Amino acid sequence: MSLASYTARRAALGLVQVLAVVTLVFFLVEALPGDAAVALAGDHPDPARIAQIRAAMGLDRPTLERFAEWLVGLPQLDFGVSLVSGRPVADFLFGAIGPTVALAGLTLVLLVPISVLVGVLAALREGSLLDRALTSISVALHSIPEFALAVVLIAVLGVQLAWLPPTAVGADLFAQPAVLVLPLVVLLARPICSISRLVRAGMIDALASEYVRHARRLGIGRTRVRFAHALPNALAPAVQQVARTTDWLLGGVIVVEAVFVIPGLGTVLVDSVAARDFPVVQGLAVVFAVTTVVVNLLADLVAFRLAPRAEVVA
Amino acid sequence: MKRAGIGGLLIAVPLALALLGPLFVPERQTRGAPFTPLGLLGTDFVGRDAWYQVLAGGRTVVLVALIATVLSYLAGVPYGVLAATARLRLADEALMRPLDVLLAVPSLLVLILVAAIAGQGLAVLIGVVTLVNFPDVARLSRAAALEISGRPALEAMRMQGESWWQTSIIYTGRSMLRTLAADVGVRLTAALYLVASASFLGVGVPPDASDWAVMVDRNRGGLFLQPLTVVVPALLIVALSVGLNLVFDRALKRVRT
Repeated sequence: MSLASYTARRAALGLVQVLAVVTLVFFLVEALPGDAAVALAGDHPDPARIAQIRAAMGLDRPTLERFAEWLVGLPQLDFGVSLVSGRPVADFLFGAIGPTVALAGLTLVLLVPISVLVGVLAALREGSLLDRALTSISVALHSIPEFALAVVLIAVLGVQLAWLPPTAVGADLFAQPAVLVLPLVVLLARPICSISRLVRAGMIDALASEYVRHARRLGIGRTRVRFAHALPNALAPAVQQVARTTDWLLGGVIVVEAVFVIPGLGTVLVDSVAARDFPVVQGLAVVFAVTTVVVNLLADLVAFRLAPRAEVVA
Repeated sequence: MKRAGIGGLLIAVPLALALLGPLFVPERQTRGAPFTPLGLLGTDFVGRDAWYQVLAGGRTVVLVALIATVLSYLAGVPYGVLAATARLRLADEALMRPLDVLLAVPSLLVLILVAAIAGQGLAVLIGVVTLVNFPDVARLSRAAALEISGRPALEAMRMQGESWWQTSIIYTGRSMLRTLAADVGVRLTAALYLVASASFLGVGVPPDASDWAVMVDRNRGGLFLQPLTVVVPALLIVALSVGLNLVFDRALKRVRT
């Protein structure tokens, strides 16, 4: 299959996924008892007042009509209006997207080189003490909940030793990089483990393969064989795992923002869930779902490009 | 051998506390001021003895993760086998494609969304964690069952006129057991991760619940005064998940070699 036709097929699937998720989110929220009008009417709801608000907000129209309208608004970044403050949901999203993108972006930028380095190091010295130590650590740390790790690190490094700021309260993330150290360590812990293990396994397989042996027989230099020939094949499964990592990363970012008090999208999500501000929740769900689908799509394309004969399951 | 020892020990401590701990919590507890050095670990954010909270707080985390894992297998394995053995390819697609949608959404987001809509309660938490784990189990069982249903042994059994029960349940089921057993550890740690993270975010549990994850969240305000009220439950959760990983990883290696 050529890259172009694979891209087209994969993009179509991605579009269907996005549509399905968006539909699901809308109708899940729609299924809730009570609506925006009931929420806005306050503690002593008066039926006449509720009906009035409903008419003013257009909530008395059929569900499908409103769904179509919401759907049309999404590509134009119109997510509706918050129930609690009356501000457009898009304002909330743009206000909070900075810290979240900074956290997730920095994590990804650090994640790839570190985990490839660890994986390659372990693979080149297979069976050595270094390899066994790295493997044990990555097995052990693989699925520690971020909040538990974060709290232990805060207590030790932030409070007892006072080396790093324990939270980001009132700090400007970009002016004080020290604030970001602990959150990044916490976010990196899990994905580094899983990706470096994959790189290690892929690299060991590749180094033992027929084509690498052939390249050696041809007299191609050791470094070139390792990095130009073996590594790309070892990376294909790892790239897809990086994409799966964004799933964790989004979850992890929610938790990490809560622990370190960083005003990002995760904080907005937790707050709006607590306040039952459903248009904001809907908007965030759409943003998170679209991001995940797009990242998965990109990763599958990169993996396909790196190792075209590998069967890439959508 | 050494690693299994460490892993076993790491599991044993939190597990013993979680299962036996509630027996040692006195019926009547006095409430003092919050975050005072009273008792073994001090008092928590509403002045309860934090040690008794630790004793009482492991049961929900462990039980919810266990029940959710069992339920996701109970639902996912038949679902996957059904998809794999469906005569029509269309039926297979119709069963498996919707799962892609679920897999496309970050699991913690699914959890928060559904819990926000369904409300509080342990049943909701169990249900959502099952829902999040279910697609993976279904995919894995489908892949395992597909491989088995192509085997010559099964063809032969079919031609001999063995009953559906004998071919599908007894033979296929027994052959799948190994693949599924290898996956249990991953599912269990994933469930534990989700349950703990959700409880920490206040999803699905009351805000003053006796629960390790809730303790970590609620007592954070007293991190400078009584750090042990936060660190002890956090370390117990860390020990449990690290221990589970080490033990299952070792068991997996033993099965493979």
